[in-house]
Amino acid sequence: MVEVLKPGLFTSIQDKGRTGYRRLGVPLSGAMDTVSAAMANKLLDNSTQAAVMEFTMMGPRLQFKAPTFIAICGAGFHATINDVPIELGKATEISENNVLKIDHPDFGNYGYLAVLGGFKTEIILGSRSFYNNITKKKRLEKGDVLKFSTTTSKKIVRHASFSIDEHHFNDEAIEVYPGPEFDLLPKKFQKIIMDTTLKIGSQSSRMAYVIEGLEDISAKEIITAPVQPGTVQLTPSGKSVVLMRDAQTTGGYSRILQLTEQAICRLAQKRVGKTVYFKLIEHL
Amino acid sequence: MKQPTIKPFGEQAILIEWKPSVDNKTLTAVLQVKQLVLQTYTKEVLETVPAYSSLAVFLKKGVQQYDFINQLSKKLKKIPKAQSEISRVLHIPVCYNPKFALDIEDVAKTNNLTTSEVIELHTKPTYKVYFLGFLPGFPYLGGLDKRLQTPRKQTPREIIEAGSVAIGGSQTGVYTSSSPGGWNIIGKSPLNYFSIEKNPPALLKAGDFIKFIPISEDEYRKIKVEVDADIYTIGEEAKHG
Repeated sequence: MVEVLKPGLFTSIQDKGRTGYRRLGVPLSGAMDTVSAAMANKLLDNSTQAAVMEFTMMGPRLQFKAPTFIAICGAGFHATINDVPIELGKATEISENNVLKIDHPDFGNYGYLAVLGGFKTEIILGSRSFYNNITKKKRLEKGDVLKFSTTTSKKIVRHASFSIDEHHFNDEAIEVYPGPEFDLLPKKFQKIIMDTTLKIGSQSSRMAYVIEGLEDISAKEIITAPVQPGTVQLTPSGKSVVLMRDAQTTGGYSRILQLTEQAICRLAQKRVGKTVYFKLIEHL
Repeated sequence: MKQPTIKPFGEQAILIEWKPSVDNKTLTAVLQVKQLVLQTYTKEVLETVPAYSSLAVFLKKGVQQYDFINQLSKKLKKIPKAQSEISRVLHIPVCYNPKFALDIEDVAKTNNLTTSEVIELHTKPTYKVYFLGFLPGFPYLGGLDKRLQTPRKQTPREIIEAGSVAIGGSQTGVYTSSSPGGWNIIGKSPLNYFSIEKNPPALLKAGDFIKFIPISEDEYRKIKVEVDADIYTIGEEAKHG
């Protein structure tokens, strides 16, 4: 078990998401940056379905009540065990009653903590991913106690490590496919979308990232239709957002672009004020 | 009805689209194809999301999008004409008492009606559940009387309580969980529209019909107690397609 001494800014448990219930209006959820979450699991030889802890901007402080192995990946956080700095992107042993402190990141937004076998919080509708009104909590709070598997017999390749993938955090290109309403836009607008350097707006969250720079163009509302994480919506007033993991399942704004899975992960790590541009790839 | 078009929707999903429209015939076609896809392609399909005149099909990892589109196009050419189906009409109790109906006077004023006329016009139609979205279990309903259309509020409320029955533009619906929202609240329903402990978790499903039944505040309380104790039986009648 592990106890939350301090929850940090917004810390939750996430896995690959809640599939199978989107037709009922239940968002997919899941880790914002699935690439980094998968790396953390991989370092511990966990299943790809294992639940990890996601944190942002200010990490949690946790006390482990049993020994295990941990791995932290994602944004450039600083972490210590009993005040001794540890290396990120590497499997690390942690002993009973040790305190793991995760601080601010130097770059990126989201970090991921994996434990051996994954966090064993309640499975609701097939997933452990926190979401308001579906799971009991939407974020971890001080005093919460989380279970994890206590088998430490698994062989951990202690020398395995991942170094930071610079492209993942620094590349400004966000790869997109044309969205369902892309062809309905005037050619001039299509060109503006691809040629403009865009900025990540404040008000960005697990639900959607606001994109600034396309205020001169707009698109008509549509009859409410399915959307998914990575859908770029353009409103009649010229506001654009990229829907993220906790997005609603349907929407009434023009779906002009659709991010690739990798692009969603890269965008998730872009801070407010960072610049990006859309790079169009065609369907094969 | 014209054949729908099929196109990719990102890397791992496809979109089946009919002519954009809000009508029964289109919805029947959408739901028929949804059934067919779920029954025929269990190996390939993760899940589907229907809406008014389109259907998203999310594919499992490793399924080739274009192969799937080709297969499905062939299959859809041979689809039999939709059979008229027997649907259920669920009776949804609603208390229109001013205590709950925070905006019923605004709705009445906007449309030059009395509040009793608002209640009468709102309880008269049989509404169709087109699909669920926005909030877990939230029904997109068709059938609101034009005389009740009311623009969304200028400033949305930070919290609209679960069960609130409301009108937003040309749509009406029930807030299935507490949420911020800009619709005009005209009543409250004591039912539980989404529960993770139920299977299926949502009370309503695409293709259902509902009727709003006016109830008093006493009845509201009584039903609420029964709902919380999980002993309430929702009124239901059959409707032939």
